[in-house]
Amino acid sequence: MKDQLTKGLVLCFSMILVLIIISGCSDDSSSNDNATGDDQDDTEQDNGSDTVTLRMVESLTSPARTELLKGMIEAFEDENPTIKVELISPPLQSADEKISQMLMAEEDIDVLEVRDQTVKQFSNNSFIEDLSVYTSEWENWDSLNDIAKHGATSIDEIPYFIPYGIYEKTLFYRKDWFEEAGLDVPETWEDVYNAATTLTDPSQNRYGYSFRGGAGSSDYVEFMTWSYVGENIVQDDGYFIEDGSPMFTTDEAVDALEMFVKIYEDASPPDSISWSYPEMVQGFTSGTTAMLIQDPEVIVTAEENMEEGTWDTAPLPKGTPSGVAQQTAGTAGWGIGAFSENKEEAWKLISFLSSPEQNLHFAKNNSLIPVHKSAGDDSFFKEGYFSSYIEMNAKPDEYLIADRPVDYKGWGEYRGVAEKDIQSLLLGDITIEDALQKWTDYWVDQKEQQ
Amino acid sequence: MKPEPQPKEVRVLPTFKVNKHGLYIFLSLLPALILVSLFIYYPLLKGAIMAFQSYSLFDLTNIQFIGFENFKQVLADPGFRRATINSFYWIFFSLIFQLSIGFFVALLLKKRFRGRGVYQALVFFPWAMSGFLIGIIWRWMYNGQSGVINDLLIRMNLIETPIPFLSEPNWAMVSVIIANIWYGITFFAIMILAALQSVPEELYEAAKMDGANKLQELIKITIPFILPTIIVTALLRVIWILNFPDLIYAMTNGGPAGSTHILSTFMLEKIIYGQDYGQAAATGLIIILLLIVFSIFYLMATKFDKAGDF
Amino acid sequence: MRKIINWPSLAKIIFLGVFLIFSIFPLYWIFITSLKPKEDMFTFPIKYWPETITFENYANIFQISNFNVYIVNSLIVATVAGIFALIIAMLGGYVLARFRFIGKNQVIFAFFITQMIPIFIALAPLYLLMSNLDLLNRLPSLFLIYTVMMIPFCTVIMKSFFERIPPSLEEAAMIDGCSRIGALFRVIFPVMLPGIAATFIFAFVQSWNELFLAIMFIDKEEAKTIPVAMNSFITKFDIDWGAMSAATVISVIPTLILFAIGQKYIVEGMTQGSIKG
Repeated sequence: MKDQLTKGLVLCFSMILVLIIISGCSDDSSSNDNATGDDQDDTEQDNGSDTVTLRMVESLTSPARTELLKGMIEAFEDENPTIKVELISPPLQSADEKISQMLMAEEDIDVLEVRDQTVKQFSNNSFIEDLSVYTSEWENWDSLNDIAKHGATSIDEIPYFIPYGIYEKTLFYRKDWFEEAGLDVPETWEDVYNAATTLTDPSQNRYGYSFRGGAGSSDYVEFMTWSYVGENIVQDDGYFIEDGSPMFTTDEAVDALEMFVKIYEDASPPDSISWSYPEMVQGFTSGTTAMLIQDPEVIVTAEENMEEGTWDTAPLPKGTPSGVAQQTAGTAGWGIGAFSENKEEAWKLISFLSSPEQNLHFAKNNSLIPVHKSAGDDSFFKEGYFSSYIEMNAKPDEYLIADRPVDYKGWGEYRGVAEKDIQSLLLGDITIEDALQKWTDYWVDQKEQQ
Repeated sequence: MKPEPQPKEVRVLPTFKVNKHGLYIFLSLLPALILVSLFIYYPLLKGAIMAFQSYSLFDLTNIQFIGFENFKQVLADPGFRRATINSFYWIFFSLIFQLSIGFFVALLLKKRFRGRGVYQALVFFPWAMSGFLIGIIWRWMYNGQSGVINDLLIRMNLIETPIPFLSEPNWAMVSVIIANIWYGITFFAIMILAALQSVPEELYEAAKMDGANKLQELIKITIPFILPTIIVTALLRVIWILNFPDLIYAMTNGGPAGSTHILSTFMLEKIIYGQDYGQAAATGLIIILLLIVFSIFYLMATKFDKAGDF
Repeated sequence: MRKIINWPSLAKIIFLGVFLIFSIFPLYWIFITSLKPKEDMFTFPIKYWPETITFENYANIFQISNFNVYIVNSLIVATVAGIFALIIAMLGGYVLARFRFIGKNQVIFAFFITQMIPIFIALAPLYLLMSNLDLLNRLPSLFLIYTVMMIPFCTVIMKSFFERIPPSLEEAAMIDGCSRIGALFRVIFPVMLPGIAATFIFAFVQSWNELFLAIMFIDKEEAKTIPVAMNSFITKFDIDWGAMSAATVISVIPTLILFAIGQKYIVEGMTQGSIKG
């Protein structure tokens, strides 16, 4: 009898456990999004199977951008009452990892953020749809500018995503400090170095340049090397020169790296060896550093945190003697998940977000270079802080665009490897020659594996 | 290293009472066993398989078994060697200081005094915070430009220019270890204080009658009595500290130049940068293997027979 | 005579004082940061007490995010995980303490090994498992996995608590007509209360703080927990220190309360556990 009681109690306990889990589940699934929860239930009852709910995932998440996107999605839902959109916003740091997990689990994501960095991985694994069926009939395809089209079709000439914006770097500088010291706006890296050393005064906690030695530092070595090497770079195979060898074999690459190290040693905060995006932007906006090279997004940040007239933008510095500046035009946009069950509706959403009006709205508020040709006429981009971009685009012979080797298997790993080497280089643990040799070997090896 | 050694049937030896308690034992352990097998060992097993596959996110359409290739590549990686050496420093210094300071604090807190409860609640509190958060807070304090630690040191005239705490490799390792010590003292203090309070008063009284002084009391009675607790706690801490990437991940992310990577952050990096799940899983298995080997030697060296009593 | 005794106690006070400052300074600092207006965040020289105290950072986090929802979610997850882990650990711990049976050492060994497993090795399979169970984006996914993660440690801790209590106690109760479970509840639990409290606090705190799994399993607003929300204050642009510090302060309040109430149980509870001579 004792044992029966025991058995009963344990059984009860197990049942409670199961019940709690089940009730927890149903509790949760019924409590939908606070705002739309109620009317969603209503529409589902009213329209039955007519309503489609799209799942959309972003990866470059920030609270402000999420708000912006939600506003645009609302406008879309107003136009399309039978489509609901559920926006998923994983925290930036782990977003790519999270999205990979979702896709590996074959979840039905309808719309997802695809970037130049991730498009190869997604297309390799058939995680995203070929959009050519849709783009061939899309009235706005030909209104996209060349960089946007190039970005969209960068893998196998197939459009895998529709870009929402273009990332190019520009020089931000402290206008007031430059004027005070009687310095001209830098045009070359030599100018940057000279101005930066003049403005550096550690006792005032003031430095010439917002250096990036932490995560993402390889991007800076990349565009400096590109600028120094100049036209010898193969534009659609950016880490190689015309004769097929990696760009790191050139003498210009040595010059570029020497300049890179010099700027760190003589004109940057010692701490900046570990700076990445947030620190370098903060260094500039908080008045520690005089110059910063960054994406257009920083314009908004600077406008929010700095007084007007104290800063301005200028085109990217050029290499010597090449006389050109060269960088990549980063693109990011929206694609359709391969496991989506609502591809037609997903495309509806993408084409809505990518229309010239919506894209202009998004680009302005998110501070990005827009993807449609028509946007060049907008005074917002023609004048003011964005004008340095217009200037660069107007002189394609001086401001070159090259492609990153994103379609090589080792690209992702290379960035991690290079970042470590760059820090070792700045610490003096390895020489410039060591670093260049290592990267040369890496890319020769990659080329062979290709 | 074979997982899931749990028995399917539980037979009972008649030690406590009689044989029919078998069902009771089985049912009592069942929830724990089912959950642990399903949600820890089953995913571990599947994860372990990846260690022998070419499981890279770059191309998932072509996953093949490649034997020990991932292990070879990980072991050949100079970053791995560095991470292993760093792990040793990370564990050793964290543990020594956590243990000694924790022991000292516990000794001082053993006797009741006014406000001890409040004091305990305050100093034990770091334990209740998340490692990630602590990493963020310390990074904020270590900051070279506007960091409070540099500011304090300058105000106290100990230094003249800011120390690049997180950007100079040697300082960076010291800095993350200090943060980890701060975090971990509490755990030792709680465990040791608990152990101290369990030392029977009679032992001290007897010692007093023999004319022992405080130091002799400590060495002859206190330490031997609490030694088992210390041994078990220390072993558990070694395991936890090694598998604790949160703090370093938040503070330096392994930098500068990989100088603060420990094995668990090295593994994390394999996933985030390399997107190579195969190599990451191989690193994970190496971590488990190292810890098992260490535990065996540790328990043999300390002659501690209750291996499972953690 | 008095003077000789005073030296050590003075040293003791100094040590405890220094240790107190060392322990709470980071918390003090994050608290001060949370009260600073945005423009004072990076001012030089550093201000140790804000000239203007503002609560805008606190107001802000409730505006830019559904922080009230996250708090409730975290409370649910941590409490449920704590209770489940406790119940399961008590059942298992009792059996492990009181009986000898074939496979017992293997069970303990299996529990011990779980402590060595780096979570990332199992992340992808776990995600798939949760997806198959249709638990993604639901709070049960979190309290389930947190419960599981706490079971091994809590069970073995519970085992040592039970070992400390003389079997004669429940034998006597059973002779009085209680069933084993009845004896467990009526006689042993009251004695073990501090240990139970300590174990619960441990499980609660761990679940309250967990970040990586929460990020992986949850992306719906209505199911996010506090660590996930705080992680999203780290954007590409900067770390929103105002929001971050305010959220930190709020996030430690529940654990602080729990600690204030339970701190004497923590030590007392562990005291019970540690007696095994």
